[in-house]
Amino acid sequence: MSDSSVVILDNGASTIKAGVLGMHDDHPLTIPNAVVRSKGDNATYIGHELAKCRDFTSLRFRLPFEKGFLVDWDAQKAIWDGIFSSEVLGVNTSQASLLITEPYFNLPNIQDVYDQFVFEEYEFQAYRRCTPASLVPYGQLLAKPGLPPPECLLVIDSGFSFTHVVPILNGTVVWSAVKRIDVGGKLLTNHLKEVISFRQWNLMEETHIVNEVKEACCFVSEDFGRDLEACRVRPGDNPIVQEYIFPDYSANRPGRIRRPGEPLDASCQTLIMNNERFTVPEILFHPTDIGLDQAGISAAVAESISLLPEDLQGMFWANIGLIGGNTALPGFRQRLISELRSLAPIDTEVIVYSSEDPASEAYRSAVAFAARPEFPQMVVTREEYQEMGSNACRRKFGDWKPMDKEPARGRDQAKSRAHEGEMHIEKEDIPLATKKGARGRGRGRGSARRQT
Amino acid sequence: MPPRRQPVRQAHNQNAPLDPEVIAKRTKRHLDELERSNYSEPAGTGGGGEEDDEDGVAPSGRTTKGRARQATISDKRQWDGKKPKKSTMNVRTAILYKKNLAVLIEESGIEHLPPGVPTYLRAVVSPPREPPRMLCSVCGYWGKYKCRRCAMPYCDMNCEGVHNETRCERRVI
Repeated sequence: MSDSSVVILDNGASTIKAGVLGMHDDHPLTIPNAVVRSKGDNATYIGHELAKCRDFTSLRFRLPFEKGFLVDWDAQKAIWDGIFSSEVLGVNTSQASLLITEPYFNLPNIQDVYDQFVFEEYEFQAYRRCTPASLVPYGQLLAKPGLPPPECLLVIDSGFSFTHVVPILNGTVVWSAVKRIDVGGKLLTNHLKEVISFRQWNLMEETHIVNEVKEACCFVSEDFGRDLEACRVRPGDNPIVQEYIFPDYSANRPGRIRRPGEPLDASCQTLIMNNERFTVPEILFHPTDIGLDQAGISAAVAESISLLPEDLQGMFWANIGLIGGNTALPGFRQRLISELRSLAPIDTEVIVYSSEDPASEAYRSAVAFAARPEFPQMVVTREEYQEMGSNACRRKFGDWKPMDKEPARGRDQAKSRAHEGEMHIEKEDIPLATKKGARGRGRGRGSARRQT
Repeated sequence: MPPRRQPVRQAHNQNAPLDPEVIAKRTKRHLDELERSNYSEPAGTGGGGEEDDEDGVAPSGRTTKGRARQATISDKRQWDGKKPKKSTMNVRTAILYKKNLAVLIEESGIEHLPPGVPTYLRAVVSPPREPPRMLCSVCGYWGKYKCRRCAMPYCDMNCEGVHNETRCERRVI
């Protein structure tokens, strides 16, 4: 095992950050986590194949993730197959170990399927499954030269599906204080799409293009009221308004922002981005702007910290780290700091750490984690899985779930597994009444299992 | 189309503010739409099946909801010219029988965990303390006024006109 390679997948709902330890340590390969249909090319692209796409108009996306959880295993397997193949990483999975990320509060029945894919389909020698935030203490995000990583830190992970505030104490996630806001990059893009389609061009079919517009133009306002007034001024004296030139795929010309005073080709179509530039990201700070009855990021941080031990709260305020693509929005950190400052106790220091590329920060932390000498002790091996099934993973990857009741069941399962061939395991270890559930038709399979 | 709709709207416009429950429902539906992968048409309008990004569509065109998917995408490509290996029953089941998140949450039993256990359902942040601010649903500026019928905010008479013509009651995009 010692000489085998370690594959690292930060398995995001929008993009997978993938690499092999020692080969892609600073810059992971970023693979779209989607099966994409292009009408213009009349082709279907699976994951990494999207790089071959020429015509990005009216792309249809099939995403393995729904609201942040992995539900479409067919699509996910197609994308993973591509990543492990020689077209991307070129690894022999049965000779490698795997470090993969999963969503916060991943459902136990989904976690079992992760285990099944890793060991039964790809036959990895060993693997570890954990959340992105739990890797941050190993990385450089909050590291200070010459000092060990802080004992208390708070990670804000704002990704494609949702935004989480995750406090970490002595390297362990404090699950009782984790808070979630149901606003992510997907919602922001869809909202921008809707706003543009109502006000200017109908772009409802153009998720991909609108996402590029969002990444090029959007920012977080430092003073929402002031910027809103500034947008009332006619173009010319308006410091915010921008013109985005749509891409032209037939001429192989990508979309971009028009420079002030730049002459425009007659064939170019443009989009005026005025208050849309900041009212869209504003939803992260005010979800009620679209009728979502949840507090914004800053209040979520305050709520999370209020649930932590009182004597440590000051340390959490002073060690806040940002990961996830939304935190790359210009102005995000400044706005967060100024809002947190007004929420934190007066004598507390508020420090927010950000990285240059927050989308791949979790990946780089994962690299540091996988390179540590204790990593081999943190994994579940294939032998352990063959002996104990998913119980081995439940025990070792201890996450948000309570751990009691489990050992007794584990022993029973181990017994039955020891006697059965691989194909029959699933049938034998499920209580009789829920057998049908394994086929996917039964109701309440998971709940029945968990209550036993 | 428009002439037929006209009289109905007129009749409503008189004095029939929408039920707060209807408004809450509308907001919820809109939020669900914003979570869809290929959100292209509002759900209520009848076009473009709501489920089409949820379920695979078999080559014959019918959706494969609730039964084994006939065509899987993961079997379509063979990279490196490798023959596909025979998957175990667990893996095959996961590929063929897709369940949506609501079903999976139900089956996971996290609802029934003892009250102190943090779960996906309990981790959601609390509602904010301050009341929602009003932004014009047409232009994005502060919305000082609310539509008397559908409660959507707007900022001036100009936007009110646009609102009444396009968005009132039903969402046009």
